[in-house]
Amino acid sequence: MNLRQQLQQLLTLLYVGTSAYMFWKGLSVVTNSSSPIVVVLSGSMEPAFHRGDVLLLWNRNERSRVGDVVVYEVNQKAIPIVHRVLREHHNDKKQLLLTKGDNNPVDDLGLYARGQNYLNKDKDIVGTVYGYFPFVGYVTILITENQYFKYGLLGLIALSSLISGEE
Amino acid sequence: MFSIVQRGQHVLNHAVTLIGILSVFIALSSYALLQQGGAFNLPSTISGVSPQATVRMSRRFGSVGSKEKENNKLTFDLQADLTPLFNWNTKQIFVYLTAEYPGKSEGSSNKVTYWDKIITSKDNANLTLQNEKSKYSVWDVEDTFRNREATVKLEWDIQPYVGILISGETTGEVDVVFPTPPTGEEARAEKMKKRQQKQH
Repeated sequence: MNLRQQLQQLLTLLYVGTSAYMFWKGLSVVTNSSSPIVVVLSGSMEPAFHRGDVLLLWNRNERSRVGDVVVYEVNQKAIPIVHRVLREHHNDKKQLLLTKGDNNPVDDLGLYARGQNYLNKDKDIVGTVYGYFPFVGYVTILITENQYFKYGLLGLIALSSLISGEE
Repeated sequence: MFSIVQRGQHVLNHAVTLIGILSVFIALSSYALLQQGGAFNLPSTISGVSPQATVRMSRRFGSVGSKEKENNKLTFDLQADLTPLFNWNTKQIFVYLTAEYPGKSEGSSNKVTYWDKIITSKDNANLTLQNEKSKYSVWDVEDTFRNREATVKLEWDIQPYVGILISGETTGEVDVVFPTPPTGEEARAEKMKKRQQKQH
């Protein structure tokens, strides 16, 4: 194996990485959402959405409607929450929302920040769920929550790159 | 020359493409089926809506700093056959009773949910409710929202097995006026009356 071949392989790898990144950021621009595709992490919307289901988001709507399933972040915390809009109050300037998980007995007041009584559509909402694909996101849950799976997968990728390199 | 890795990759690529095409077909077909079954024009009858107002002071009822917060609930009768919302791509339908009413300032509007239900089977989709109580005690952004006229409707949202979430509303609607909560004395008298009834 010579240097040129190895550099070529590195280039291919970079190419795959950058195109994935460009796709993600492009989708962000189109949907106006910082995270246009999310994986469901909790069971609070069962039986509609289970852990590992993939949701497609859209954030170019001016206002949310009651009954919409939205993804929101409280205080820009890292964990996005997928719940349904229970109430909306709007005027020309802004819209306030109260949300609730289908599978939760009470509304989300307890999940909001201290002293926060409503979500602000413009500030807190990451997007409205419009598309659904079951289960495929479970891989990401496995990777983040199960270290054996994570290192196993990394090992497999390393192994396969070694094998394909020898051809 | 073929290798196992290459072959595996081809099979995987093919499978992913096929699943994608199939999903799109299923999503499109379910929309067409809904359209055909008249799902966007479903009749419903909402009647006997009777709202009751109370004054609450806890955060769970929207009060901030233990200030008095007007809440209201309602009871209602409902008749709606939602079976046309079910087809091969319907995992569940979320049905909810909403009330829409104007706000205090010009151009402001509010919509709140009083009652909702998850229906996962076609067999349970024909709803007949008598004197059903609202699930939620509702408060407004303002401290009080008495005497406002609200339009009560039944709406639905379909969660699919795969594809697009579709929502709509049934045709039935009814107007109500939010009542004034009883004063402290009236509420106390009401409580006494109930207690006496219980004793008898």
